[in-house]
Amino acid sequence: MSPPNISPGRTGAAVVLLGAALSLVGTTWDIQWHVDVGPDTFFTLPHLLLYSGSAVSGIASLVIVIAATAATRAGRTVGPEAGGRPVRVFGTFSAPLGFLVSGVGSASFLIFGLVDLWWHSIYGFDAVLDSPPHIALFTSISITMVGAVVICGSARATRWGRTGLLISLPILMLYSPITTNAFNALRLPFDAASAGMVLFVVMLLVLGRATLARTGAATAFAAVLGAMQLALWWFAPWAARTYADAVGLPLRDDVGGRPPQVPASIPMFLLAGAVLIDLAVWLGARNHWSARWVPQVAGAVSGLLIAATFMLQELLISTRPAPVAGQFVVETLIGGAFGAFAGFLGWRFAGVLRGEQPPAAAPVLRIQEAY
Amino acid sequence: MRKALFSLLTAGILILLTGSPALAYQPVNIVHTEHVQAGPYGITVGFSVWPLRAMQSLDFTFVPDEGIVGKSGTLLRSGPAIRGRNRAAPLVRHPRRLDVWGLDVESLNAPGTYTFTFTVAGAKGTGKGSLTGLTVLAQPGPPMGLSWAICAIPSAAMIIFLVLTWRRVHPSRNLLPLAMT
Repeated sequence: MSPPNISPGRTGAAVVLLGAALSLVGTTWDIQWHVDVGPDTFFTLPHLLLYSGSAVSGIASLVIVIAATAATRAGRTVGPEAGGRPVRVFGTFSAPLGFLVSGVGSASFLIFGLVDLWWHSIYGFDAVLDSPPHIALFTSISITMVGAVVICGSARATRWGRTGLLISLPILMLYSPITTNAFNALRLPFDAASAGMVLFVVMLLVLGRATLARTGAATAFAAVLGAMQLALWWFAPWAARTYADAVGLPLRDDVGGRPPQVPASIPMFLLAGAVLIDLAVWLGARNHWSARWVPQVAGAVSGLLIAATFMLQELLISTRPAPVAGQFVVETLIGGAFGAFAGFLGWRFAGVLRGEQPPAAAPVLRIQEAY
Repeated sequence: MRKALFSLLTAGILILLTGSPALAYQPVNIVHTEHVQAGPYGITVGFSVWPLRAMQSLDFTFVPDEGIVGKSGTLLRSGPAIRGRNRAAPLVRHPRRLDVWGLDVESLNAPGTYTFTFTVAGAKGTGKGSLTGLTVLAQPGPPMGLSWAICAIPSAAMIIFLVLTWRRVHPSRNLLPLAMT
């Protein structure tokens, strides 16, 4: 009888992805809880969701690393379907690259969770988003999400790999504004957090387009992200209010009229920016233009549009006052410059992701055969 | 064994769902008060930590002599860490002490002298008064540079990882073509 058609790479990817989704939902819920309700303990439901996200991803990563190590020791080759190129760790383990990254992110979350407890013992139970330990925790979660992208991107030859990438990349994009909050501490003469957000979303759209190597891929990523943004826009205030009702706490007196914080910090017009990237790459391919500059141009026009429409969005939903004309032009141009750099990085990081795992060259063996 | 585990898990979930986490929230313990006269209204300003230190979060309570019922008002804060927030915010109930106005887990992020100005409206008309000379000492803990350096380790590790993989593959030398199948 043939074994069931399930590879640990696929199961592991699904569990890491579930962990990443739990982290995103938990963070969004927790931030909304602080905005709408307030009182906090270590064991609130949004906190438990947050912790379980990293725990789920971390345990799945560890299990796959141990399974891949056992497979390698048994003399079998672990292929890219198992989550990326195997990397030797401590001379003993053979860790598929994607699971190594997601596991390191989870371990880092655990360590900086302790640093965060120490921080609260000095500074009180503050609820500021951009304290150093909080930024370290958000970066750790982002590293786990990068791991999920590497796992799925390495298996892009399979349907589950492509589907996983269509989910993991938008999750990472949705999470990026939470982390780029830290750029506000730099006190630059422009909105550094928004510029950082443009850099990450454009880079990941270009990376997704080049990794999947399909016409319209960037648009597909943006469409999935839009659906997630819409779902969180509804979920965050609903969850905060329902949980407050359940534990008998009232909403803050000054709640009302403000959009949910995390979903509102994602560009609503990203789809248009993604269409521009797809269009530029399609035109470039059709006219045999050079890949040395087309991704940068694609990124620049997308960055210009996203930066300009993001200011419009903030004005529409009243999260910041209307920019004066000069500031509008400067921030749009900064978005274009960051977009160009993002295009450069995104196309080349896709090269790294694809180059690490040439699917045709690497011998593929599902590690289930080691069991 | 399986039955015992199931019972334990069920009990755990039930405790989580039915226990009242509200009871576990830290009470607002006022350790120092100041008095402000805002026209006809006396206001007691309470602090859960004293003296104040930069970046250390605490609970503030603002209690009019005859309670908050039938009154409304605004609070305008000014001082070294209050930048671009020169609009008065409405006085709202403290989320963990609903009988008084307040601010929960708020910090003043730079040392120096601060002023809290209250405008209160009620049956006796409108009154305005300020708490001046509110001193905030230097921040506790290690210097921020050191805290940021430690907490930048995950970002630095990510950047090092990306540089190493970049150098391994040389994506600019082996650039992906625009037209791929």
